[in-house]
Amino acid sequence: MAGFLLKRLAQAVFVVMVVTLIVSVAVRMTGDPAMMIAQGATDITEADLERIREGLGLNEPFLSQYLATLSGLFTWDFGRSFLGGTPVSTLIGNALPATLLLAFTSLLVSIVISIPLGIRAAIRRGKWEDQLIRILSLVGLSFPNFWLATMLVLLFSITLQWLPPSGMNGIASFIMPAVTMGIILTATNVRLVRTSMLEVMQSQYIMVARAKGLSERTVLYKHALRNCAIPLITFLGLQFGGLLGGIVVVERVFNWPGMGSLAFDAVAGRDYPVLQSVIMILSTLIVLVNLLVDIAYGLIDPRIRTE
Amino acid sequence: MMKQTLTAMAVALAALTAGHATTAHADGKLIVSSPQDPGSWDPIDTFLVNWASLATNVFEGLTYRGPDMKLVPGLATSWEVLDDGLRIRFALREGVTFHNGEDFNAEAVKFTFERLLGDEGAKGPQQANYTAIEYVEIIDDYTVDFHLSQPDAVLLTKLAGYGAMIVPPKYITEMGDDVFNTKPVGTGPFKMVSYEPKIGVQLEANADYWDGAPQLAELEYRFITEPATALAELQSGGVDLVIPPTIPVGMIPTIEADDNLELVTTAGPTVTALRFDTSRGITADADVRKALIMAVDRETIVNSVLGGQASVIASFQGERSFGHDPALKPLPFDPEGAKALLEKAGVAPGATVEINTRGNDATFNEVTQAVAAYLGMVGVTATIKPYETNVLLNDIIPQGKTGEMFQQSWGGWTFDFDNTAYAMYHTGQKWNPYDSDPQLDEMLEAQRPLTDQAERERLLQEIATYAADRALEMPLYNLNAIYATNKRVQNFEPAPDNRLKLNKVSVQ
Repeated sequence: MAGFLLKRLAQAVFVVMVVTLIVSVAVRMTGDPAMMIAQGATDITEADLERIREGLGLNEPFLSQYLATLSGLFTWDFGRSFLGGTPVSTLIGNALPATLLLAFTSLLVSIVISIPLGIRAAIRRGKWEDQLIRILSLVGLSFPNFWLATMLVLLFSITLQWLPPSGMNGIASFIMPAVTMGIILTATNVRLVRTSMLEVMQSQYIMVARAKGLSERTVLYKHALRNCAIPLITFLGLQFGGLLGGIVVVERVFNWPGMGSLAFDAVAGRDYPVLQSVIMILSTLIVLVNLLVDIAYGLIDPRIRTE
Repeated sequence: MMKQTLTAMAVALAALTAGHATTAHADGKLIVSSPQDPGSWDPIDTFLVNWASLATNVFEGLTYRGPDMKLVPGLATSWEVLDDGLRIRFALREGVTFHNGEDFNAEAVKFTFERLLGDEGAKGPQQANYTAIEYVEIIDDYTVDFHLSQPDAVLLTKLAGYGAMIVPPKYITEMGDDVFNTKPVGTGPFKMVSYEPKIGVQLEANADYWDGAPQLAELEYRFITEPATALAELQSGGVDLVIPPTIPVGMIPTIEADDNLELVTTAGPTVTALRFDTSRGITADADVRKALIMAVDRETIVNSVLGGQASVIASFQGERSFGHDPALKPLPFDPEGAKALLEKAGVAPGATVEINTRGNDATFNEVTQAVAAYLGMVGVTATIKPYETNVLLNDIIPQGKTGEMFQQSWGGWTFDFDNTAYAMYHTGQKWNPYDSDPQLDEMLEAQRPLTDQAERERLLQEIATYAADRALEMPLYNLNAIYATNKRVQNFEPAPDNRLKLNKVSVQ
């Protein structure tokens, strides 16, 4: 187990470094931040731009700029935003909790909906309930999230005026973004729960449990569901990574003050320190979650631990 | 069970939303949606218009220019231009205090400009605009002399905004720049209470404001970039005012259809043209360039694509610009004349031009498609090649890698044609990669040192006429600045330059 963990940890570090390096190089090929800052200045000369670049630290060698970014992971000092000079750690300190909260709420929404629906579809296999749930999940899968978000806003904010259309301000503001993200996850999760439930229900130990005369409820929730947990957890782990990536669009539409919005603004403003740090932290998180999923396996399934 | 769950969810939703409806607005509070957080509120750090759309409420300059575009006294009550424009004497307003209680006086003015022109200012983009100022001399507590290294005809206007905002010396010296960036202190009608990066700003009325306490008790700015989101907030009552540059032309019908909302527009500083590569291709010939301009019905484009929210221009400036010549008329829409000119110039039907645009500017891409269609009617095949905005601005145009025509949207908050003309037409300027015209260079240089504004205006008009004669660009239109408000907002006057001062505004 220890050797396995060490190997995975080394892989994780490598992934984060490569991702950060690619982003750092790529963003530097797309334009000059000094020009962005000087936009609208009337008589800006090359000397002025040079002065601004010097002030931003852009004249340092690339390698030292890159290493400075990386070291932020350990010192929590990511430099300052090119736009206005706010410490990047302050920006991330505000945005990361917002994004994580939204991601967890979305996962929660999807788990709460998909597990009962998935089980129901499995036990009513082939019946109309199963058909309906499968069709609904197909519809859910086909929704582009920005469209769904816009429709929700139109209905609940503009027409009914029940929910605030944007911002993170109280529980009410979580509902639409979390549902938007959650519904798309739900669609896949329902199918996953259904398939793995069906598989488990065929197995011999379920037959044994039934033969023992256990109630159907106990059979389902105690024996079957627990055995579905492994594929489900793997999948949720993977989804969490996808969530963090997909969150940019949803954050944008709901003006959610999270990492996605931060990254979007940073790209538009050529704000290297912010962009690099956001990407580095998100990739670290995704890699860590995958690592945790691997560890969680062992905890849930003793067979994997002993192997 | 399903039914029960649904009912429970509906009840929970209703409970949550009841809170939303009541907390949205306190009495006397206005909420503004602004598309960008400038990141720092220090006047010397930024050039973003959305800095000014908030900071004009917090800071003031020696001069002031409101929505009527007239330059009037601000923190200076009067001024006198002396020594052939090399010295300007300002009499300062007495009895004004900063939000922290500090006195506004000659010392504060001197400190402001020493900071702007010194090391601190060197890190920002603002310094470059005020380099004509050599030093500020204190004559007495409420009189200062600005000594200039050369006359700067636009300086008095520039003192009304951005880098020239007067800042409190003691506060900055004691608290440092980092504190000042996030908790700015000025003399304006509103005081900043709190700033949450990327989220918003809370302000409260400055009851001691020298021009009378503002009508509003509180003012809030929320940063909302997505136009659709800003509009949804406006429609649902979450914000009262959406300021430019947010609302695209395409959303105007939605606003007009809503009885609670009002669209308020005014000619803004931004003018848009398709400039020509005058060094090669068919556009190297001035007659061809004129033919291309005549081939395009700009009036129809403004009315159909832009919903009438723009006005056709004859030179690279709007009618509010200093240097605008009402006598100079746009070339008429005349496809037959265009064909004749093209034939005379030896351009055979089927000749091609490439048009480069800013890819994220959806409205302009529609405009370009209309332009391309019009060009097609006179036998010129136009292909449109959009670039990512920053790539176009930072790379393609300055390095002269554009096609025969390229989008340029331009406009400085000073509304002075010198700002545009010098950058666009003078040899060697970053925005002028193709053309070099010694006569035009001379004209551009000649107007700069003049302190006689009437004479300078005449020269700027001559420059505009000269550039139009050479058809250096296809002048398209001057876009309106588009604001949308909730009808509960009273006395709102749209600022053409987005420098909003909301002290006279009230809410019902």
